[in-house]
Amino acid sequence: MNKTMTNIALLILCLVCASCVPSEKYDSKKTVIVFKHGKIAGDPAQFERLIGKFEAENPGIIVKDEVLPASTDEQHQFYVINLEGKSSDFDVLSMDVIWVQEFARAGWLRDVTGLLPEDERDEFFPGPLQAVAYKGIVYAIPWYIDAGILYYRKDLLMKYGFSPPEKWDELIAVARYIIPREPELYGFIWQGKQYEGLVCNVLEYFWGNGGDVFNEAKVVIDSSENIHALAFMRDLIVKYGVTPALVTTAIEEPTRHIFGNGKALFMRNWPYAWNIFERHGSPVKGKVGVTRLPSFKEGVSASTLGGWQLGINRFSQHPEEAEKLLCFLTSPEVQKLLAISIGYKPTRKALYKDKDLLREQPFIAGLYDVFMNAKPRPVSPYYMMLTQVMQPEFSAALTGIKTPEMALISARKQIEHIIKSGEQ
Amino acid sequence: MKREGGNRFVLPALALLSVITIYPILYVIYLSAHRKLLIFNISRFIGFENYQFLLRDDRFWNALKNTFYFTGVSVSLELFLGLCIAILLNRPFRGKGLARAVMLIPWAIPTVVSARMWEWMYNTDFGLLNYLLGIKINWLGSPFWALNAAIFMDVWKTTPFVAILLIAGLQVIPGELYQAARVDGAGSWQIFRKITMPLLRPAILIVLLFRTLDAFRVFDAIYVLTGGGPANTTETLSVYAYKVLFQTLQFGYGSTLSVVVFLCVGIMSIVYINLLSRDRRI
Repeated sequence: MNKTMTNIALLILCLVCASCVPSEKYDSKKTVIVFKHGKIAGDPAQFERLIGKFEAENPGIIVKDEVLPASTDEQHQFYVINLEGKSSDFDVLSMDVIWVQEFARAGWLRDVTGLLPEDERDEFFPGPLQAVAYKGIVYAIPWYIDAGILYYRKDLLMKYGFSPPEKWDELIAVARYIIPREPELYGFIWQGKQYEGLVCNVLEYFWGNGGDVFNEAKVVIDSSENIHALAFMRDLIVKYGVTPALVTTAIEEPTRHIFGNGKALFMRNWPYAWNIFERHGSPVKGKVGVTRLPSFKEGVSASTLGGWQLGINRFSQHPEEAEKLLCFLTSPEVQKLLAISIGYKPTRKALYKDKDLLREQPFIAGLYDVFMNAKPRPVSPYYMMLTQVMQPEFSAALTGIKTPEMALISARKQIEHIIKSGEQ
Repeated sequence: MKREGGNRFVLPALALLSVITIYPILYVIYLSAHRKLLIFNISRFIGFENYQFLLRDDRFWNALKNTFYFTGVSVSLELFLGLCIAILLNRPFRGKGLARAVMLIPWAIPTVVSARMWEWMYNTDFGLLNYLLGIKINWLGSPFWALNAAIFMDVWKTTPFVAILLIAGLQVIPGELYQAARVDGAGSWQIFRKITMPLLRPAILIVLLFRTLDAFRVFDAIYVLTGGGPANTTETLSVYAYKVLFQTLQFGYGSTLSVVVFLCVGIMSIVYINLLSRDRRI
């Protein structure tokens, strides 16, 4: 017994020592840069191969890529805590589109304007470009893009002789015609839980009705356009009956499950769901179409912009090497590879005409217009505070606790208070 | 001389406590008197301004109300159900050990995991609950049901813990007392009221102390289940404090909220501990 224990102790000791010896890979002459990001979709080997390619092209650099927790809130929290403490433990970071302004204002990001010269900016979609610049300085480079789109059941629309709706009243009419004729089918589902996704959903209705949160510096969230748009969302549930009440607890995945099981006619979601619907064995394989979100009579369709941007930690010890990685990952070649292998949508416009990419993912061509018109959520360093005001107020209007007018007036007052205290 | 030596031995423990408990508490109190906004690089002393703002903050009062409702209802239910289970499981029967072990399962599951599980069970469409009841209630999406649904989950999860503590309490009551009471002709209800309850009092107070403090600080269950929604109807003080601190980065005001939680918890602890020590003196 005693002997076994001694052996185990020796073994542990050996392991500890072995781990202290620097491994071959971390050669002291080479620079190690750390890349922090959320979980990469799909097969991780694809991404590792890409990093291997970068290391082969840049023999002096070794990239350690470190994955953060899946929830974006936790990623945000990680960055805030570490950057506030001036941590230099990571060099390149991937950021949600709503964080760049905040981090830039706090002085945590390195100026990367040099990597994105004026004449090259036109190659990117306008939405993400707007989100990465703060006071004329570029703090990050758009990596991949996301935007809200409308999924519809091609087969059912064809069966009843309808075309995809372009206006909200068309969507309602189509849904009200088809629902009673199909067993166990919801009309139109979206994300209405009190969380960031709710803000993304509501803003699309605001914009689609010609409204917005700010007009220059003025807070116009309680405009009549917005009140009407928010009331319409509630009416989708209570008046028109095309949206089930369950959306008030739904985030992306539950709605994707419902639609993916063939139980809904229309769904608002991000483009990621498409690849899952087209997988082998999916009940809706080959039956799904995508299009832009509908708009109100006088408005134009608008989608909320999502997606991730790459920036450099201002406290990084190896900014030059980090810049190389940034350029590599956002280059047209790599964006194309990422699009084909794991479905990340490129931020560079030219790739939507790329023959190889179109052959692999034909539906990407239809997304070009959506991404061109995708709007960032209020581009503001205060955004994280604004969303904390909007989420409960929108939720209150959807669940009928407040009238849309009351909710939006209350939101305006709180937002004005935040802006005022930020200027002090 | 002896006494001094004793003091010296306490020092390491005291040092450890001050590093991991006292320092953070003092720092949070210090922060709560500041206006500290990370993204604006603002950090200045403002005295009681945060506390004045708090008094006018509707969201705070709403969170406080939710927290008290959650604590009151869940702890009362847990105590009642826990007591029933404890008395049942304290009787001799075959498979008692197994029954006690099985009962503990909900308590053994991490809260985040059980909250995810309940989120699915509460699902309007695929949820087990609606399936069994044959209805279609939007449990987590309706302002009326959401907080009660969270309470139900908490009761499911923590009743076993209450029951185990109470079983321990029941076991220290000497069997002779019951025999003597029966010889004197006391009925079951009388025995329960005059013997079990008074002698179980310390255990009940311990249960209440633990559970009230835990329930008052509830965070994970609510955060996972509803995120505070719909429309903040399930937002408790800890959830609100978390959002202010870590999502909007207002460290000053977030600390103020934390101090309020700390004060409430502190006052409740003092009340319970006084009750407990008064018991001991009797």
